[in-house]
Amino acid sequence: MNDMRLFERAATVDEVKIRAKDVNVHYGIAHALKDVSVDIGDRLVTAFIGPSGCGKSTFLRCLNRMNDTIAAARVTGAIELDGQDIYDRRVDPVQLRAKVGMVFQKPNPFPKSIYENVAYGPRIHGLARTRAELDEIVEKALRRAALWNEAKDRLQSPGTGLSGGQQQRLCIARAIATEPEVLLMDEPASALDPIATAQIEELIDELRQTYSVVIVTHSMQQAARVSQRTAFFHLGHLVEYGETGDIFTNPRDPRTESYISGRIG
Amino acid sequence: MTDLPLNGAAGAIPDFPRPARSILETDARTRARNRAEARFRAYGLAALLVGLFFLVLLLGSILWNGMGAFMQTRMTLEVELLESELDPEGTRDPAVLAETSTFGYGDLIEAALVRTVAATGVQTGLEAGDLDDLLSSGTAARIRDAVIADPSLVGQTVTFDVLPSSRVDGYIKGRVTRESLANDKNLSPEHLDIVDALVAQGTLDRGFNLSFITGADASEKRPEEAGIGVAMIGSFYMMLVVLGLSLPIGVAASIYLEEFAPKNRFTDLIEVNIANLAAVPSIVYGILGLAVFIQFAGLPQSAPLVGGLVLTLLTLPTIIIATRASLRAVPPSIRDAALGVGASKMQAVFHHVLPLAVPGIMTGTIIGMAHALGETAPLLLIGMVGFVASNYPGGVLDGFTSPNSAMPAQIYEWAKRADPAFYERAWGGIIVLLVFLLVMNLMAVLVRRRFERRW
Ligand SMILES: Nc1ncnc2c1ncn2[C@@H]1O[C@H](COP(=O)(O)OP(=O)(O)OP(=O)(O)O)[C@@H](O)[C@H]1O
Ligand SMILES: [Mg+2]
Repeated sequence: MNDMRLFERAATVDEVKIRAKDVNVHYGIAHALKDVSVDIGDRLVTAFIGPSGCGKSTFLRCLNRMNDTIAAARVTGAIELDGQDIYDRRVDPVQLRAKVGMVFQKPNPFPKSIYENVAYGPRIHGLARTRAELDEIVEKALRRAALWNEAKDRLQSPGTGLSGGQQQRLCIARAIATEPEVLLMDEPASALDPIATAQIEELIDELRQTYSVVIVTHSMQQAARVSQRTAFFHLGHLVEYGETGDIFTNPRDPRTESYISGRIG
Repeated sequence: MTDLPLNGAAGAIPDFPRPARSILETDARTRARNRAEARFRAYGLAALLVGLFFLVLLLGSILWNGMGAFMQTRMTLEVELLESELDPEGTRDPAVLAETSTFGYGDLIEAALVRTVAATGVQTGLEAGDLDDLLSSGTAARIRDAVIADPSLVGQTVTFDVLPSSRVDGYIKGRVTRESLANDKNLSPEHLDIVDALVAQGTLDRGFNLSFITGADASEKRPEEAGIGVAMIGSFYMMLVVLGLSLPIGVAASIYLEEFAPKNRFTDLIEVNIANLAAVPSIVYGILGLAVFIQFAGLPQSAPLVGGLVLTLLTLPTIIIATRASLRAVPPSIRDAALGVGASKMQAVFHHVLPLAVPGIMTGTIIGMAHALGETAPLLLIGMVGFVASNYPGGVLDGFTSPNSAMPAQIYEWAKRADPAFYERAWGGIIVLLVFLLVMNLMAVLVRRRFERRW
């Protein structure tokens, strides 16, 4: 697309964590993502917004190579993490995913105990030497995901027995327990009540101190509340990307404008 | 905007007639629908009843015909083990005692029978030499074995539990009648007079036939001694081989195909072929086993090891199909979750996917094994025919290679033999086999219950 107008973001981004250039994704013959170029800053929250089916999740999955698991998906273009190409032949996607954690759109806890759900990542990455350390990691992760109070008395009961919103928070706890550098969150608050949502937003804000966070959301208010940068996707294009305040108060593209004012979606 | 206003009042769409109807009365459409449903239920119930009727008929006739094999007539016989006949030099050396063949015991048994009959007081027109038709032709061999095992018995009068012949057994069980003996060379009605007297005296009675379950096959002349025990051991060893090979191979192949292999023409071809293999007649596997394992690889004939190998080929497709289906049933989101926290593909499979697939794999394995347990045709081709099962294997490892048969082949062998007493054993063998299959299927159900899906 030639008429795609991007912010002159080079001036505003200080420290780039992830740099994507001309990313295209095809699912078989369907062209799901078209020439997306974006720089995601470190210690910032970046929000992806856009109507359903526009490619937000697809792009998110490119960032930790989860698309590798979809046989039909074909990714072209370049994505760099700290200046290193993540699609380089030498990159082991497993190692990459330990650095770039992910919370999925649908809560998907393991059918194991709450404790095991959170402890799994640290355990396979050898983050804890003793049981006490592991306990500590699990507790910290559950506290940050605002689930500790509800889960502390039932750590051994199955994670699948939690409510939908609790499951989503469990998945967040599981993702942050491995201490990733980038956290990709696909609609983490879609199943949460306002109180839990506020807690998660608080968590995201806190995570920003050390991580780079990318969040997909359908809630404009949420994007406005938690993010510093916002990217608007439409029909596989990245239509507009810039400071969140600018996007919401002064959108440059008419499509962005009509989306945030509720006319397309 | 040509659409009708969606949130307008109902009265805004007057063109759609809405018949006033009460929910208390059913209209014609609903009645027709309900009639169709009632008809369908009746069909279903009828089909079920027909099936049930045949099942009951089948089980009933199996039990009716087969229960007799679990009862056996026995007789007590006091035999005078004369030293002059068995051990003239008085050495009591088992090697010397073994020199007397079973014929050497014939006179002793005849004398014992004469005494027993005389004790009943029955007047009989039979010669002394005809009396041994009452007993199994294996009687002399049994007494000889007992004497060689315990030489101190020589010179004493010992009471033995001996087996009457299959005709006497049949008479006690009601299978043989005086009329049916009219054309029978093996036993005469006069013998039956003696049997009646022996029963009245308590010398001859019926008991549970443990040796049918534990014993070996016997020759055509001695149906009363035939048991399914050795064939059971053969089946057991084959199942060990089948389980030990087909489970690891099947599961490994399925995991590879389902989780790791690229989806291309080649794997499609493999997939189609596995499905086809499951439909290949079992006798084809039998002749393959004969050619490959026995003629080419030189493995022994009639060995449960070879039988197990052949049945492994037969079971593998079943296990692979079941395992792949249960792997596929694990939601992909579980794999994503594991990969998302940085697990490798193999960790995702072994830590999360496989545990969830275990119940399906176990059920498939048990059902595959149950199929293999009931398989007859391929065994006949590799020499595991029924009459081979006449000796216990020498040791635990020997069980894999010493010639043996399997339960279904033993049953087939008995069903082939002329003597109706063997026919009874065949039905009895089917009961034993069905008990095994029932237990295995029960296990499959329990496994499914125990590891019910948990997501
Ligand atoms: N596994 C897949 N195979 C084929 N097509 C896919 C696959 N996943 C997504 N798509 C297609 O790619 C396009 C983008 O999908 P994507 O899931 O990225 O949308 P999204 O922006 O996340 O939408 P939503 O807000 O509803 O989650 C859609 O048209 C979708 O149909
Ligand atoms: Mg999505």
